[in-house]
Amino acid sequence: MKTIVCRCEDVTLDDVRHALALGFRDLEEVKRYTGLGTGPCQGKECMALCGFILAERGCVPVPFTTRPPVAAVALGTLARGDEEG
Amino acid sequence: MSDRVPDCTVFLDGSAVRAVAGEPVAVGLWAAGVRVLSRSVKYHRPRAAFCLAGHCGACLMRIDGQPNVKACQTALREGQRIEHQNSWPAGEHDLLGAADAVFPRGMDHHTMFTSPRAANALLRKMVHRLGGLGRLPERGGELAALPSGRRRKVDVAVIGAGPAGLAAALTCAQDGKRSVVVYDEQDRPGGSLLSHPRFGIAAADALAAEARAVGVELRCHAAAIAWYPEDDGGLLAIDDGGVLTKLTARRYIYATGSYDVNALFENNDRPGIWAARAVGLLATRYRVKLAGRTAILGDGAYAHALAEALASAGSNVEHLASERVLRARGRLWVSGLDLEGGRRVRCDRVAVAAVPAPASELARQHGAAVELRAKGGGFACLVDGRGATRVDQVYACGDVCGFVGVEAARAHGHSVGRAVAESLA
Repeated sequence: MKTIVCRCEDVTLDDVRHALALGFRDLEEVKRYTGLGTGPCQGKECMALCGFILAERGCVPVPFTTRPPVAAVALGTLARGDEEG
Repeated sequence: MSDRVPDCTVFLDGSAVRAVAGEPVAVGLWAAGVRVLSRSVKYHRPRAAFCLAGHCGACLMRIDGQPNVKACQTALREGQRIEHQNSWPAGEHDLLGAADAVFPRGMDHHTMFTSPRAANALLRKMVHRLGGLGRLPERGGELAALPSGRRRKVDVAVIGAGPAGLAAALTCAQDGKRSVVVYDEQDRPGGSLLSHPRFGIAAADALAAEARAVGVELRCHAAAIAWYPEDDGGLLAIDDGGVLTKLTARRYIYATGSYDVNALFENNDRPGIWAARAVGLLATRYRVKLAGRTAILGDGAYAHALAEALASAGSNVEHLASERVLRARGRLWVSGLDLEGGRRVRCDRVAVAAVPAPASELARQHGAAVELRAKGGGFACLVDGRGATRVDQVYACGDVCGFVGVEAARAHGHSVGRAVAESLA
């Protein structure tokens, strides 16, 4: 049975442990290896969860890069955003 | 007791469902007995709303032809067409859910089917079909019909209309000497006040009214989406009801609050396992009578407040303050929990009261430093005694500086609002 760490991308606790066993030691690496934090929510829940899993193993996690947009936005909102009405 | 009376008909995958107009789609469907709102992207696991705050991504549905709409942030209205995405033939009976059983230990996409080439190509096609998030909209918009952007300059921009943001805004605007505008992504101000049984809508409206009375402009349905440092000396992009607003301010106050976080146990993503604050919203904001039994996990102040409120409303509550949960039972909806030591608890829903994680991404984009704090729930913004981050003109207050809860967040907001006003005097 699966324990879900990142619900957007279905990344499990086993996946995270596997990444750690392979020697990945920070959030950026675990993200790149497992896909954690790359779904629609962009890590709002799993980044803290995974950060604590890393901290338990003696790492000092730093967050992975946050990129725009932090909330979902319709392409239609951006399409003419440069013009000003 | 509940005063909810269904007054409209919506269509879920073509079948009529009676609902209360104006309530969120996720709440109305749940109240009507719909269990599964979405399927997860890889294993097609059944999912339903977790946070009810527009953050967790578990309730994305196709609504009126638009894919990936948050069912918890969309109001029900007569005739609405709501569809499940990524499931076949239906949300509750998704044959693609076999993927979950076929790969009980998960799939490692780094090593799977990398050879032979033919199998790899076939699998890629399959994955493209099964994965992803929905289909494109039925109709695209005409570019000319889309709204153009807008530029705005204010003295003080506050991001988040929860207890911290509202308190900061009203303290900052009190002497009438500067323009203060608050942006919030939700449909009404209040933030975490709305889900707290001791506060709720009345307290949220009172604080919002107090802020408006001193000239604060409150803008809802307005999500701050990014800080762009390279544009015109830096600008904050806001999706203000679908219009892109490019905002510059003399001071920025991030009062973005905190995100709900799940606990780690087997099948922790089963429908019926909600964030405690989502259960608080059901009871406090949406006034839904919670039939059956609620298991509350967690020992924080919020867990106790929720347990007390549900019990005094006549709900059956099992408060598991310190027990360790091993797994959730139930296939499409949670039916119980297995605890360490062999005890089994039967329940109709679970409220997970883990410490929420600071919503610090936007402040981080703006250059604020963060630090992982166990008691603060995650990566908390570092601020000094005045709420100032390490970046000039950028402040933060409330849960974003480490989870503190409603009352402490409001107090922090007042003190940071005062400091910001002084910095502009």
